[in-house]
Amino acid sequence: MLQSVNNLISLIYLTANKRQTIVAMLGVTFGISMYIFMTGFMTGVNNAQTDLAFSTIAHIKVYNDGPVDESNIAQRVYPSAVVHLRHPKVIKYTEGIKNANIITDFIKHQPEVSKYTTQVNINVFFKNAGNKVNGFISGVEVNEENDLFSIAKYMVSGNWNNLRQQTDGMIIGADLAKSLGVKVDDNIFVLTADGVSKNYKVIGIFKTNIVGIDKSKAYINIGAARQLLAVNPGYVTDIQINVQNYKKTNVLAIRLRSNVKYKVETWQNANQQLVAASFLRDIIAIAVSLTILLVAGFGIYNILNMTINQKIKEIAILKAMGFSGKDVMTIFLTLAIVIGIIGGLVGMGLGYIISRVVNNIPFEVAGLHTLPMAYNAKEYILAFSFGLITTFIAGYLPARKASAIDPVNIIRG
Amino acid sequence: MEKEIVLKAENISKSFYEPEPFDVLKSINFEVKKGEFLAMMGKSGSGKSTLLYVLSTMDTDYTGNLTISNILLTKKSQDELAAFRNEHIGFVFQFHYLLPEFTVLQNVMLPALKLKKKSREEIEEDAYNNLNLLGLKDQAIKKSNKLSGGQQQRVAIARAMINNPTIIMGDEPTGNLDSKNAQIVFDIFRELSSERGQTIIAVTHDEDFAKHCDNIIELSDGMRL
Repeated sequence: MLQSVNNLISLIYLTANKRQTIVAMLGVTFGISMYIFMTGFMTGVNNAQTDLAFSTIAHIKVYNDGPVDESNIAQRVYPSAVVHLRHPKVIKYTEGIKNANIITDFIKHQPEVSKYTTQVNINVFFKNAGNKVNGFISGVEVNEENDLFSIAKYMVSGNWNNLRQQTDGMIIGADLAKSLGVKVDDNIFVLTADGVSKNYKVIGIFKTNIVGIDKSKAYINIGAARQLLAVNPGYVTDIQINVQNYKKTNVLAIRLRSNVKYKVETWQNANQQLVAASFLRDIIAIAVSLTILLVAGFGIYNILNMTINQKIKEIAILKAMGFSGKDVMTIFLTLAIVIGIIGGLVGMGLGYIISRVVNNIPFEVAGLHTLPMAYNAKEYILAFSFGLITTFIAGYLPARKASAIDPVNIIRG
Repeated sequence: MEKEIVLKAENISKSFYEPEPFDVLKSINFEVKKGEFLAMMGKSGSGKSTLLYVLSTMDTDYTGNLTISNILLTKKSQDELAAFRNEHIGFVFQFHYLLPEFTVLQNVMLPALKLKKKSREEIEEDAYNNLNLLGLKDQAIKKSNKLSGGQQQRVAIARAMINNPTIIMGDEPTGNLDSKNAQIVFDIFRELSSERGQTIIAVTHDEDFAKHCDNIIELSDGMRL
């Protein structure tokens, strides 16, 4: 009932001393907006770093790692013997993955897989006039490659999709183009390790901002790459797989290993430093959010506690007039919740505005244009609920104390 | 004519334990009749205010039995006592104790709004009548902290009267007032007791005040003299 005397009293307390009410609401607002901004910023940074990390590597890679070194068979048979072999050699009889269709068919039907693509990667020399640079060519499925690595996003000139039609076209890294002295429409001479050479036409230049890639990598159509190696249409060197949740590669990797005879490598295996970085970032994110929640929580608690403690004498007067402990609780919880809701709503708005402003600060590093920011509805709801719960507790504890004591103890000091 | 007894105190005792054990009230017995104007006197520290707060049900930390309007109040819960106070007891403190953020009218209306026996319009009318009786009608919509001390004390009385309580209690109700205002307050009490049949119990150390009352209870060192 909105017109009840308890609500009337709450309303008068809220409106009588507007400055105090606003200060209490600001306490909630600041706590919530800071939480929203900081978590949004950290999540944004984490997402940007993850995007950067996965701009060139897939979650799982399948490739031919060459045979295991089993040259010392004698040692295995006689483990305790001293075996000495001279000049043992491990010879790689097969290169790449033949009949990749069988494997990709299997991969296609795994529930965790979100995207996959096949590549034919070849180590080559690039030549233009007198300039020679070694690097590698990645023969790619044009659409799938872009699905996985969003390479079109990094194009500085030319169009990624042109690679589909132009079998003699090549898209090269910006630093590679510079060291060869080529630009779009120039020709590049390519020499493979087997001594095969071929001319390609530069139809585009990309810049991922990862120097190692930008100065050594070039893309051509996968068909053209097979042609360069003179291999069958089923031949690939790498199968790149992305899964739904990049942190959960293990289950799929284990299943693949038991079904595929090639090397199955997760990004975690290949990049321990990324795993550590990602893990540490998560820990920092959790630590920072908890700290903000704690600090904001104490701020909200203090300010509301103070507001109610200032009214302790009036609580005693109300009780002297015949208001019950329950009435006192209702009055001050209503007060707290109204402050919590209004402060929380304003806090969400303010948090969003701060996030937007920060999100628009220019930050031209490593392919970023502005500072990264994430907008998770979940975080907004969490922050709001947290603010509400804190104000509720901050109102409840002193109100309960006030409702329980004999009014005379307060009135007579 | 034999008047009914509205308040009965039996063996009321109370002790403080801090800073050291001290018996502030020692087995007090007395009765108050309907319409009686009773003054409680005693030196500072005699326990008169403590006794008043016990009688008012605001202090539950005592032994003995307290009966008001034939209802035994000892051992009742806080909330039951609050509801009882709301209907049966009006209280006037030494320092008015109005709610400063509320208007005069709201202050007077609050106990009745809590009681919910009348509609809001009726309560507002009652409040205006009470304020009129105390010469405060034109102050009704002011914030209570904008009034002078004497005016505030009269508002407190208007508030104490709003539910037509059986008993109105005052803790030095004139103690903080000049003689003119003190006389006004006394006259109001006198009128309430003789014309409306309301029982008044007032703690005072003002001899002049006390000698115009119907009855005087004198306390010394926690005992009735």
